[in-house]
Amino acid sequence: MAMDIEAARRTPPKEVVVRVRRYDPETKKTWWQEFKVEARRGMTVLDALLKIKEEQDHTLVLRYSCRQGICGSCGMVINGTPRLACQTQLAEVASEARPVITVEPLYNFPVIRDLVTNFTEFFNKHRSVKPYLIRKDKEEQENPKGQYDMFPDEYYQIYQYSSCVYCGLCYAACPVVAADPQFLGPQALMYALRFVNDVRDEAWGERLIMVDTEHGCHRCHFAASCSAVCPKAVDPAGAIQALRSKVFKYRLHLFKRRVSKVIGPPPEKGERVPLPPEATLLPGVDLKKLEQEPVVIQLPPE
Amino acid sequence: MSEGEVAEKKNSLGFWRSSINPWAVRTKDNPERLAFVFHRISGFLIIAFLLAHILETDSPVWSQLIYHVNGWTFWNHLMAIEAGLAFRVGEFIIAGAVLFHAPNGIRLLLSEFFGVGIGRPGDPKPPYVPGTFTASQRTWLYAVFVVWIALWIFAGIIIFT
Ligand code: SF4
Ligand code: SF4
Ligand code: FES
Repeated sequence: MAMDIEAARRTPPKEVVVRVRRYDPETKKTWWQEFKVEARRGMTVLDALLKIKEEQDHTLVLRYSCRQGICGSCGMVINGTPRLACQTQLAEVASEARPVITVEPLYNFPVIRDLVTNFTEFFNKHRSVKPYLIRKDKEEQENPKGQYDMFPDEYYQIYQYSSCVYCGLCYAACPVVAADPQFLGPQALMYALRFVNDVRDEAWGERLIMVDTEHGCHRCHFAASCSAVCPKAVDPAGAIQALRSKVFKYRLHLFKRRVSKVIGPPPEKGERVPLPPEATLLPGVDLKKLEQEPVVIQLPPE
Repeated sequence: MSEGEVAEKKNSLGFWRSSINPWAVRTKDNPERLAFVFHRISGFLIIAFLLAHILETDSPVWSQLIYHVNGWTFWNHLMAIEAGLAFRVGEFIIAGAVLFHAPNGIRLLLSEFFGVGIGRPGDPKPPYVPGTFTASQRTWLYAVFVVWIALWIFAGIIIFT
């Protein structure tokens, strides 16, 4: 989701009412509970929930870890939108006119307790697209001997997708996941494309056939809600359409892609590596001058 | 799967809640979702119309079997009913459904099968706007809305005058 960068500078209302949808697995009861929190500038929804947990109700259960949008564990539905609680400023979701925010566990996930949801299925789907590099050469796969070459434009084919933090927000927002629980979901399909695009990988055929099913990429209806809520702009919706067009090409035997070569073992300590002329695309960088500079690689002492 | 996990899975949203759910999620800057909802509703309307249309054009045959009347008498009777205002409003709604479904369908075909207009992956930076939302499919989507409304107004003029 496009971030509201200025929100942290604004002051939220003095007192915010947090309505939490809670669930108790022992009694199997779901209920809404209201808490009043004294808000200050820069306070996030996660801060508010932790304050409630510390000062008002110790039984409130939630999952979080990094508090800075890196671990992807604090996903919850805030005011009807799946968001990361630690990246949502109170000033963004509450106003003087409406100082009430609602917090629910992520949709499309089974709830374990209160705001904690079960990600087993989500991760199983992620695993099902084989999210790791596969080489045809078995020996190379088991005992890799060196580095693979990769150029900047090839790197950008996967960079955006590899910044996924597995928060499951896209999965919670997708209308198709709600309708078809077997649908692989935006995250897994996006990850299939990440490896189809990766020049170091050789199993694109396997992956394209894997997603070419009723519950794979053809189920997506391009509602793009996954992209609208993704906190890292991974853009799974665009990825799925790209994946689908690649499946289409693959089935017509038109899909082609370079496979990177092994370019020898990593450099020894202190060894000077001659740069290939196409290694840098940065404007104003003089390769000749770089070559004359003293040793580039300095590994720290063991 | 262990016993505990099976028990937890039971707490997923039920069929009805999940069927309502996709319409209830709120997302910002997401007209694609609106288009998805409209595409679905207009699809259902068009199918309902087609079924009714088959029944209608078939009526000279089945009216003989059911009501034992001359098929053409029944047909004329049906046509007289369909000349009424309620059916014109219905026609207007169907026109709206078709006129949205067709151009939006073209846009979906182009982006879904040929990957047209979805942009290229890049280097996401704050404020993290996804590439698909700044690519040309978004422009086309707005164009679809404009074309739809314009043609629908035109269809309305033809139907009601
Ligand atoms: S674009 Fe596809 S995967 Fe993403 S929310 Fe829409 S239907 Fe789901
Ligand atoms: S694609 Fe985005 S929303 Fe989905 S799990 Fe990855 S980071 Fe989260
Ligand atoms: S706590 Fe890590 S992403 Fe929010």
